[in-house]
Amino acid sequence: MEAKKTATAGSLESSDVLVTISPAAGSAVELKIESIVIKQFGKRIRSVTEEVVAASGTKGVSVHVQDRGALECTLRARLETAIARAAEPA
Amino acid sequence: MTDPILQAREERWTKKLALARSLKARCHGQPASLAVLTLRMPSPLRTSGQFDELARIVFLSFADEVVESGIRVLGQEFRLGADGPEGYLAAEADAPTLKRAAVDLEACDPWGELVDIDIMDSEGEPFGRKELGMGPRACLVCGKEAACCSAGRTHDPDLVAERVREIAKRPRLSLKGMAERIGRLALTATLLEAAAAPKPGLVDPLSPGAHRDMDYFTFLSSAAALGPWFAEFARLGAGHRGELSGLLPILREAGKAAERDMFAATGGINTHKGLIFSMGLLCAGAGRLAAAGASLAPQTCAEPRLVASRAADIVQGITLRDFNGIDKGKATAGERLYASEGVRGIRGEAEDGFPAVIEHALPRLRAGLSAGLSMNDAMIDALLVLFSVVEDTNVLGRAGREGLDFLRAEAHRALAAGGMASAGGRKAILAMDKTLSARNISPGGCADLLALTVFLEQLSTAGD
Repeated sequence: MEAKKTATAGSLESSDVLVTISPAAGSAVELKIESIVIKQFGKRIRSVTEEVVAASGTKGVSVHVQDRGALECTLRARLETAIARAAEPA
Repeated sequence: MTDPILQAREERWTKKLALARSLKARCHGQPASLAVLTLRMPSPLRTSGQFDELARIVFLSFADEVVESGIRVLGQEFRLGADGPEGYLAAEADAPTLKRAAVDLEACDPWGELVDIDIMDSEGEPFGRKELGMGPRACLVCGKEAACCSAGRTHDPDLVAERVREIAKRPRLSLKGMAERIGRLALTATLLEAAAAPKPGLVDPLSPGAHRDMDYFTFLSSAAALGPWFAEFARLGAGHRGELSGLLPILREAGKAAERDMFAATGGINTHKGLIFSMGLLCAGAGRLAAAGASLAPQTCAEPRLVASRAADIVQGITLRDFNGIDKGKATAGERLYASEGVRGIRGEAEDGFPAVIEHALPRLRAGLSAGLSMNDAMIDALLVLFSVVEDTNVLGRAGREGLDFLRAEAHRALAAGGMASAGGRKAILAMDKTLSARNISPGGCADLLALTVFLEQLSTAGD
């Protein structure tokens, strides 16, 4: 998939996560992870994000994750939705 | 997005952003912010419907707190969404101010642990606890950082559910319930005062004191008639919005109706006219405090000094207003005394925040109780203290300045002899009862202040 525009999914409410996907130059995937539980779950959030982005085949994007203590299943769902929305025609 | 709960949360977020940003245009440069209340529990519980009413009550109580703290509410809405109940409140206040009110409620409301109140400023920026320099909220189960436990599903869902139900079971009084409780304590205090004996010069179960036309039973009938009115005064105080001085005319109307019930119960004898005024004020003050701090611990709402100062706010300026242009022909005893001697009586006492009660009688009552005296004996000692400091207009009216000086000297003598705790003191008090009755000295104003003292004591210690 290809990111055609900037798209978001989720929220900044407690136990949720706001994912922002935007097109970026080149074919790299840039990750920016923020979390209120970065100490405890930072690594896991990063690996889940990398895994979901890789599975979608998206390249040349920047992914901004603002986590408010979401469950892993919520993070996955928000990432998938944001990627799908970014791939829609602008 | 297939999960309806995730979809609902995202829609709520979008709605919040739009609402918050619309405030900017509506408020013309005034600071404004948005509060959104949601249930703080796992989604199966949040969406179960079992806690919808709880969320509504906490939301309304938050809205009350905001109004009470002088903030203008621009709009509010409570709705049930796919992610559970949600309450929106837009206020004309900056985000830190609104967040502080939210944090107070989360901390002090009996159900506060079960709600999240998120604040957003009119730019759409969330304003959290961190921005107030506060730490994160604690987990319901283990007390550690909540976000970690919920993100990591640290606790067994059954355990979390059990804890949520436990918190939801915490008692919470409605405004009506609080008013009834205040009224009940006022009635109790009135009955205890009537029953305390020996009260020199006054009606008690042992003797009618200086009175020919009433006895203990007259007082019991009168107290019973006033019980519902005490609750009504509290309810009027609790329901009042705006300046406290605006309450006085409303309380006076209720007070007149209470007087009619009193006269009907006593066959036309004035037992508690003064008490209706002063206890009415304290009940209204206590009601007002309880309503303002509905979520606070009962003790905080019922601090005697606070209750007395609310009552004082209601009657600010009353002596000057009431005693200006007194019609000499129709003047009451209190009014004539003010005109001739400048004695302000119970009006002045109320206006000053009941100093005789707060500074003198209440400390004496408490000291007596903690020294192991019975309620009766501690009350009599507190009454003697009142005799020694109060310019009782009942005494001035019936026995003049000389009578008052005599009363004070006798009270000092009985207290110096040790009061009810000593045989000498008790003897002096019994003798005093005879001499006061013979000299037609009946310190009814002090008796009323004793009832107020007992009321404030009970209010501050009766934990619900």
